[in-house]
Amino acid sequence: MLWATRRGCHVDRTACVWLIRRHLDAAAEFLFFRDPSEAPDGAELFDVVGARLSHRGEDCSFETFLREYALDDPVLREISEIVHDADLMDEKYGRPESEGLDAIVRGMQIALPDDETLTRHTDVLYDGLYAYLRREVS
Amino acid sequence: MDAPVEGEGGGPRWLILIYHLPREPSRHRVAVWRKLKALGALYLQDGVAALPEDAFTREQLEWLQLRVREAGGEATLWEALPNTVAEGGALVEEFRASREAAYRGLMEAAERLRRRAALGAPGAPLLEELAKVERLFRAERRRDYFRSPLRKEAWESIRATRQALREDPGAREGVG
Repeated sequence: MLWATRRGCHVDRTACVWLIRRHLDAAAEFLFFRDPSEAPDGAELFDVVGARLSHRGEDCSFETFLREYALDDPVLREISEIVHDADLMDEKYGRPESEGLDAIVRGMQIALPDDETLTRHTDVLYDGLYAYLRREVS
Repeated sequence: MDAPVEGEGGGPRWLILIYHLPREPSRHRVAVWRKLKALGALYLQDGVAALPEDAFTREQLEWLQLRVREAGGEATLWEALPNTVAEGGALVEEFRASREAAYRGLMEAAERLRRRAALGAPGAPLLEELAKVERLFRAERRRDYFRSPLRKEAWESIRATRQALREDPGAREGVG
């Protein structure tokens, strides 16, 4: 399936890409566009204003994904709190990890300006976060 | 932080969010105000907030625009260039001044902690308070779009306080 989002991914979008690849669609393909009008018909848009899989109320897109796909893994829920705090910067969940994640992903964005390359690398980061939290949560 | 996009006069290009929210429930107004404050936006008037344009501020304001609409309000987002170089410069100065006031407050807080340590106050709670000051400094730095000259000074003051507290034997009581 083809998934599409805006270019210049930061925490919320890189985390969504990881979630899609690892938990929703192992054969996912991604398109990173400059303007939503560039997205081909039939592509599933995410983290784009007006899309089904986007910010909703207080929630960031990652949280919307969890709700839309009824993913009730407690480890994913913890990751969603960290992603929320890094993305919205409202300290809703008071997760100290969010500040570090924000700094790392911002830096990776500068070092790896191509979103496909960037997300291949951030996938490993979220794999690590998942493995760590799985040990802490259960 | 991305470098702000430059307009033709050499000054930054601006994003202006113009919004209106119903008076009740007031929590939406408070949430939007708080978010704009966290972003370091400057209110030009009631319901009119400005930020220098970059990929980050654009995205944040787009989400905020969506939130206002979801809350039953109206919001439009504009790219803008001030009409004169002077007006643009004044806006930049206003941004710098608001960060400077914040940096100054943080420097004073750091100095107060250093004095309390010198007077023999127990160190552990001072370190906790310092951690709060450091967190506020990092938040300030993120929204310091025009690199206030006080940034470095504030950072050095905070570092000096941390060092002083760590060297104070009382500071390590109950830690570790």
